[in-house]
Amino acid sequence: MNEIDEKKEVKRLLILAVLAGRIMLKNGAETYRVEDMIIRICKSRKNIKYVEAFVTPTGIFVSLEHGEDVVSYLQRINTIKIDLNKINMVNDFSRQFVESDMEIEEAIEKLKKIDDIDNYNNITKFLFGGIIAAFFSLLFGGSFLDFLASFFTGIMVVIVSTKLNELGITFFINNFSGAAVASLLSILFVRIGLGANPDKIIIGSIMSLVPGVAITNAIRDTMSGDFVSGLSRGMEAIITALSIAFGVGMILKIYFKGLI
Amino acid sequence: MEFIKQFVFSFFGTIGASILFSIPRDSIIVSGTVGALGWMTYTAILGRYSSPVAGTFFGALAVGIIGELLARHLKKPATVFIIPGIIPLVPGAGMYYTMLALIEKRFLDAANIGTETLFIAVAISIGIVISSSLSRSIKRVQNKAQ
Repeated sequence: MNEIDEKKEVKRLLILAVLAGRIMLKNGAETYRVEDMIIRICKSRKNIKYVEAFVTPTGIFVSLEHGEDVVSYLQRINTIKIDLNKINMVNDFSRQFVESDMEIEEAIEKLKKIDDIDNYNNITKFLFGGIIAAFFSLLFGGSFLDFLASFFTGIMVVIVSTKLNELGITFFINNFSGAAVASLLSILFVRIGLGANPDKIIIGSIMSLVPGVAITNAIRDTMSGDFVSGLSRGMEAIITALSIAFGVGMILKIYFKGLI
Repeated sequence: MEFIKQFVFSFFGTIGASILFSIPRDSIIVSGTVGALGWMTYTAILGRYSSPVAGTFFGALAVGIIGELLARHLKKPATVFIIPGIIPLVPGAGMYYTMLALIEKRFLDAANIGTETLFIAVAISIGIVISSSLSRSIKRVQNKAQ
């Protein structure tokens, strides 16, 4: 292979590594995992002497040294949507890629396919959003009627937050509206006699919004020495919790004033 | 009976959460079990020492350790099991009651419940910290041995 072809090949490899990293990061992987994977993918091919990857929750920076050249790539990440299945698939893919002699073009095709997979359709997600709410309200001491009410409320909460997310609205407004819908519907359900404890219904319904991913990843990033990522994810967790509290609080305030 | 009920409720609750996070299909039951085991640890500690913070800590620790072990065993990222698993422990109820106390102008209660909520969140973090750093050091020792 002559020199120009090899240079091209190295660039394609870098593009592949960053694409894999982007899919993982925007579906909610920890940053150290993305860094590890990019470095492993790059080091698995050709005579690349030196690779360095720096990943934060909002961007990927990679540069590698090949022969006399230094090539770098910068990728900005905007939206984060949690999809653990894609993380798992890209993880498997990178292991496969490193251990075999897969062609880079074929690998890029595979990655693009992974990016397009939708593991569960929206209806399933809505239904299970209802199931979270229903079972958590039972877990916190709700009655059977509360179970039914929070099932419907939970479905509505997930529908609202999914639709707002598709419109590209910030996560603050998103969670705020989700929580507001949860409390509004719970109060209404109790008023028409479906459900006895509005508090249990509300608590169950906001469980699908709580920042579990942000908490987990903030800690795991911080523990692996990525303080920037840890801080920014910790901030995300705090703001999410606050937005939920504000959403619930606003409706309760209106309720206590007697306006609903 | 109460125990079985709690197990079933937290099992299905965690499964719901894991579908929202779009977990791989072959891990749904496993992650539900992880979440339920974490919750059972929480209730066991809570019943014995009546401290929600300690209960949450041990619950999260259990979820973390089981998650890391399963991750190694099933060759999947540990977060696949840990993220849905801690959902039952996240203090949604604490957040709600803090807000309620604030709105009813019971500021003393708000401070009490709010602090406890914060401590519960910290307890989850510490539980995960301990389990994940344990798993890292074990990995490092194993790598050296090879």
